[in-house]
Amino acid sequence: MTAITTNPPSRAGRAFRRLAHHPSLLIGSGIVLLMVLIAIFAPLIAPHDPYVQDISRRAVPPVWYEKGTWENILGTDQLGRDYLSRLIYGTRVSLLIGFSVVAISGLIGTTLGLLAGYFGGKVDTFVTFIVTVRLAMPVILVALAVVALFGGSMWVVITVLGLLKWDRFAVVVRSTTQQIRALDYIASARTAGASTAWILLREVLPNIAPQLIVIATIEVASAILMEAALSFLGLGVQPPLPSWGLMISEAKSYMFFSFWLIAIPGTALATLVFAINLAGDGLRDMITPERS
Amino acid sequence: MFLRPLMLAAALACSTAGLAHAQAADNTLRFAYNQTLESPNPYFTTLRLGVIVGRNAWDTLIARDNDSGEFSPLLATEWIWADDTTLDLTLREGVTFHDGSDFDADDVVATLTYAADPANGIVSQQIASWIASVEKTGPLSVRIKAKAPTPAAMEYLSTQLAIFPAGYFTGPQGATSAPLPVGTGPYKFDSYAPGGELLLSRFEGYFADSPKTGAKIDKVSIRIVPDIQTQLADLMSGGVDLIMGLPRDQADQLSQMPGVQVVSGETMRIVFLQMNTTDTGQEALKDKRVRQAINHAIDRKSISENLVGQGSTVINAICFQDQFGCTQDVTSYDYDPEKAKALLAEAGVSGLTVSLAAYRERHISEAIINYLAEAGITAQLQFMQPAAMRDAMRAHQVDMMQNAWGAYSMFDASATAPVYFGAQPDDNNLDPELKTIFDQAGATMDAEQRKALYAQGFEKIAAEAYAVPMFTLPVQYAGAEGLSFQTYPDEILRFWEMSWQ
Amino acid sequence: MLIYILKRLGLALIVALTVSVIAFALLRASGDIATALAGEGATPESIAVIRQTYGLDRPVVVQYFAWLWDVARGDFGQSFFFRTDVAGLIFGKIGNTLILGGASLAIALALSIPLGVLAAIYSGSMIDRAVTMFSLLGQALPSFFLGLALIMIFAIRLRWFPASGTDGWRNFVLPAVTLGYYITPPFMRLVRAGMIDALNTDYVRTARAKGLPARRVVFKHALRNALVPVVGLVAVQLGLLMGGSVVVESIFALDGLGYLAYQSISYRDFPVLQAVVLLLSLAYVVLTLLSDIINAWLDPRLRAA
Repeated sequence: MTAITTNPPSRAGRAFRRLAHHPSLLIGSGIVLLMVLIAIFAPLIAPHDPYVQDISRRAVPPVWYEKGTWENILGTDQLGRDYLSRLIYGTRVSLLIGFSVVAISGLIGTTLGLLAGYFGGKVDTFVTFIVTVRLAMPVILVALAVVALFGGSMWVVITVLGLLKWDRFAVVVRSTTQQIRALDYIASARTAGASTAWILLREVLPNIAPQLIVIATIEVASAILMEAALSFLGLGVQPPLPSWGLMISEAKSYMFFSFWLIAIPGTALATLVFAINLAGDGLRDMITPERS
Repeated sequence: MFLRPLMLAAALACSTAGLAHAQAADNTLRFAYNQTLESPNPYFTTLRLGVIVGRNAWDTLIARDNDSGEFSPLLATEWIWADDTTLDLTLREGVTFHDGSDFDADDVVATLTYAADPANGIVSQQIASWIASVEKTGPLSVRIKAKAPTPAAMEYLSTQLAIFPAGYFTGPQGATSAPLPVGTGPYKFDSYAPGGELLLSRFEGYFADSPKTGAKIDKVSIRIVPDIQTQLADLMSGGVDLIMGLPRDQADQLSQMPGVQVVSGETMRIVFLQMNTTDTGQEALKDKRVRQAINHAIDRKSISENLVGQGSTVINAICFQDQFGCTQDVTSYDYDPEKAKALLAEAGVSGLTVSLAAYRERHISEAIINYLAEAGITAQLQFMQPAAMRDAMRAHQVDMMQNAWGAYSMFDASATAPVYFGAQPDDNNLDPELKTIFDQAGATMDAEQRKALYAQGFEKIAAEAYAVPMFTLPVQYAGAEGLSFQTYPDEILRFWEMSWQ
Repeated sequence: MLIYILKRLGLALIVALTVSVIAFALLRASGDIATALAGEGATPESIAVIRQTYGLDRPVVVQYFAWLWDVARGDFGQSFFFRTDVAGLIFGKIGNTLILGGASLAIALALSIPLGVLAAIYSGSMIDRAVTMFSLLGQALPSFFLGLALIMIFAIRLRWFPASGTDGWRNFVLPAVTLGYYITPPFMRLVRAGMIDALNTDYVRTARAKGLPARRVVFKHALRNALVPVVGLVAVQLGLLMGGSVVVESIFALDGLGYLAYQSISYRDFPVLQAVVLLLSLAYVVLTLLSDIINAWLDPRLRAA
């Protein structure tokens, strides 16, 4: 009765074989996994307390420079805090924001998309309408304004981005649901007397999961970048919390003389976003093989 | 990627060395400033840039000689105090405004009457609120009546009270029908775009007897460039000739570069943290021990030495040493985190979270936040534009405020103490006793008596730990090679003295 | 066709009105406007006078319609910060942002169309992978980081372009490259996908089978079809473009609308922010409407939707 009729072992095996054919997915998800581990075990890995300042030892260069020391492998920041430790703790901020935002926006977008796609008619018109309104609003400006009104903090950033970035989920889930709804097994479930909620959650949702995961990866990456942009503009995560965007923002006045101060968090940010997008791209190829 | 700084340093060395600033050729000075001017009218901004533009495009009645510190003639040639509250001035003949109209007594009456009326809402009320009336006693003579004896009157008349042509103002809040601001100063407005470029040009009709005469630069272009790194890039690539307010580290590094001159100037600007003890403030901050703990928690000396650098002195009282009435010999609090923790414990306060508003020197705010964190206090930074911070401060909306007060370059404690502790809008403690002391000090003509009153007030502020006095803030200027410019402790750029070599 | 246009126009109008309600609510949520307008140290009496003059004592619904009427006539109220007309303020800066936006879009299209076509023709090859990597990197590189790096290289090292300002075309090059690169990846993906689809359609296959030169097939038939969705994406990307311009304009101190909006946020100058948000939303609504109509005109099947 369910669409997924394949037996688990062969499915897992096939997935693994597929994975081997998609090096981008393998590399991307590998890097992301590594970053997640770093984030989880940050207190164990970080050589120093990321918050302790020593303003007499500012902007000490990383170890590979002449003046660098093993004491601070990536040097110190403009307030003499250990840069490697801040970078490691920054992984937490980026990942937490990325995943939390997508949890909120995914929930909102998927719900709206499911309802619109399944019920059609007036519900669909209404959802399409609010998606259009949402798309018409400039996200960064609205996010900046709300943060300015409520004050910047990590949770404000998460909430604001979560409430603003559900559009792609809604659009994709809506169209996918429309296609699935027309399939036979949904009709038979309905005639068998299954409740709407059951059909939506147990029949439709699992079948749009692949698309959802692809959208989610794109959105995680985009949320991380947006947080960095907000923090860069001073209206995101507030100090002394180490966010990569904030680290770049705080170090930018040093860029001509200590370029590594912005290069290090910039590279970390670009690597994480690149890895997530790489993984997402691989997933997309795996799901829609005809495109690759 | 990490090799780039080395390559860059070398590249910078080559590229700035042979730098011929295009501006030198067309005798233009390009100046970049990091904060947006809300109004080009000096009565409607507290920003340093507003003071700079004010001094270059306008004249005051009286000037103050840079070297001797004595008052000297400017728009007024003579003045005499008829009694403690009556000042008679004789005005200069033959002065013209930028719009070609002649300067006379009507202009002085109109401008000062406008500024003194609180309904017109000039930003710093204290500079004009002492004026009871201004009357014309002849075509070129006026009489100013003060409400009470005002020892600082000459300070106000020689710094902030710029004279506009009569009829310039058409309503409150600086409303005018003139397309561009009009003054009598050595530079006149060519164009002004809100938030964009402000272009000044030399006023050829400037009166020759002025101490501000002899301007050499033809045009001064002032642009708002908010980010320091963009300002540096502009300076190093020849897009800008002069910047000011560089952080210490950048100034140090820039001074190693050829083709750029870095000048560090001591100023009378003081940094201090205000604490809101009014009804809207945090309950904990109303406890003197908590405020003392905050004083003990911050290592002012280390911040001053490391982050601010040469030219910065730690202060104990909220005033600048050379201001009349200022004394630094008051109760002070050493850096002692243990004592801070003990005081907090004694007050029964734990896990205190306060908001900290700041509008400049963000790196200092962050150092402060980290020091407070060590004592167990979480400070949430609200970094905003000066005007927004001023509003929040005056509405008593934040717990702690990081101020950098230049006192309008006035050498009198009345420009500092009453502003923040004498029940004026910025006061966040509203201590009635301090108001009485500073009101009295502001109306006493006897110098010794005044000094004693200010000393009493500053001691009370320190003993109550109403604020965290920090240090004086030197200003770092960087100019293109070939630009001759002099800096002063009052942080006012005198474009009329600058030239290209 | 007429009915379709009318229907789309109706929807656009409702969307525009909803957005205007949100923009209006934004200003109201920011605090008491009369106090803000009255400025520092205003007496309760003068605040009351302002409240009356600006009609702020009327019911909110009445105020909304009055405001909407003003906006329709081009009156966006007074800036709290600059104390001048918001409309004048915006008018003075919108040109710079339009130039920046246009230039970035041109750069993005100039990059994405050839690369997208190339990737599609050699789909699955090394070229395709390289193009995909380039687009992924573009998405990963934060625009503020790229902007700072460009200043380092082109303003300071090579001195080809100024680091900031709005004096001439040279001031726009670095910001436009930063912003253009930032919006290139979505276009490239769309062109690539569209081209792959188009190359697989019957008529292209037929054309190929007929022995028409490959170049002609690609450019005359396939590309034309592949570009149809790009028109639609231009409108959608406008939001991204404007969001990006806030960051880019502030790095390069470019005196445009995005920077004005960013400034107005930090000054809590909500009338200006409200006007910018409203204008951008309206621009989006109008552009999507136009692209829908163009697409419907190009492809009659869409009219049924």
